Amino acid sequence: MIEQIPQILVLLGLIVSAVLTYYFKDLLAATLAAGLFSFLISLEFYILQAPDVAISQAAIGAGLTTAILIIAIRATGRYEEGSS
Amino acid sequence: MSRIVRTGADFLYPAILIFGLYIVAHGHLTPGGGFQGGAVIATGGALVIVAYSYTEVSEWLSGKVLMGQEVIGLVGFIGVALLAFAFGQVFFFNYLNASGSLFGIPVPYGINAGELNTGGFVPLMNFSVGCEVWGGLTLVILYMLSGIRREES
Amino acid sequence: MKKTVVLIGSLLILSAFLGVMALTLTFGAPKMTDMDDYFLRFGQEQTGTNNQCTSVTFDFRGFDTLGESTVLFCAVIGVSLIFRKMQAGEEYENE
Repeated sequence: MIEQIPQILVLLGLIVSAVLTYYFKDLLAATLAAGLFSFLISLEFYILQAPDVAISQAAIGAGLTTAILIIAIRATGRYEEGSS
Repeated sequence: MSRIVRTGADFLYPAILIFGLYIVAHGHLTPGGGFQGGAVIATGGALVIVAYSYTEVSEWLSGKVLMGQEVIGLVGFIGVALLAFAFGQVFFFNYLNASGSLFGIPVPYGINAGELNTGGFVPLMNFSVGCEVWGGLTLVILYMLSGIRREES
Repeated sequence: MKKTVVLIGSLLILSAFLGVMALTLTFGAPKMTDMDDYFLRFGQEQTGTNNQCTSVTFDFRGFDTLGESTVLFCAVIGVSLIFRKMQAGEEYENE
């Protein structure tokens, strides 16, 4: 039981970051929450002893997807329209 | 971006480049491989592209070079696999393994320390796939940034 | 109202399915292990790599990596077609 405590903490962080991604109206904060989700899921892959999947998830999910979304936010607008 | 971000990107880009090339070159010994190493290098390229503006980046990071890098990677992958016909074997046969030449030291069964000069054609495949992923994923970010500049002007 | 009922019902069905799967299946103990045993026993001598993941993805399952590289190439070609350089007098189609 004592070795499953970091895994439970990572899964709780996954749920919290996914809910935060849904509820943020500021799109930059939502993008950073999605990047936190990718980083936590790469940590979960590393705990489950799959280091190469963890490397590709950290590079693509937390690095490149966040960069592409930030470039798209710079091109359009920062706040969500028509919802408030 | 500010001066702090630009200086940090200048210092971090060679380190990320060397780490990604290490992952590609040791793909047959340690966790990782061509796709993971190429994605790590593309993350470093994305850091530089986000830190500088498009007009400064496009002076030394050409799209044609990256596209040529990607084409060379894919053609090299298929070419290394097709070269097995010259040795009288089937497609994707590992003809360089335990041959005594390049990457040809035989590996015994069991736990051993590992040698860089092993693996048959797997390191060549790693290098071509890493080259392709490096070019392709950096090119996607570069094209996204070129689109935003044209929209604003 | 109807939307909420459908949402709650689908969540209940999903949680029941996942609960039954978690109670019956054992984690980390697959039943059919013939191919895994073959890779673990002969992969090191036949491909010369100490990393068995790379020996599977680049040698035993090489066609998979070939298809993955082709998919990445087609994706980059599609992005470069969307963000191509406009000719003189050419307008965007989706304004």
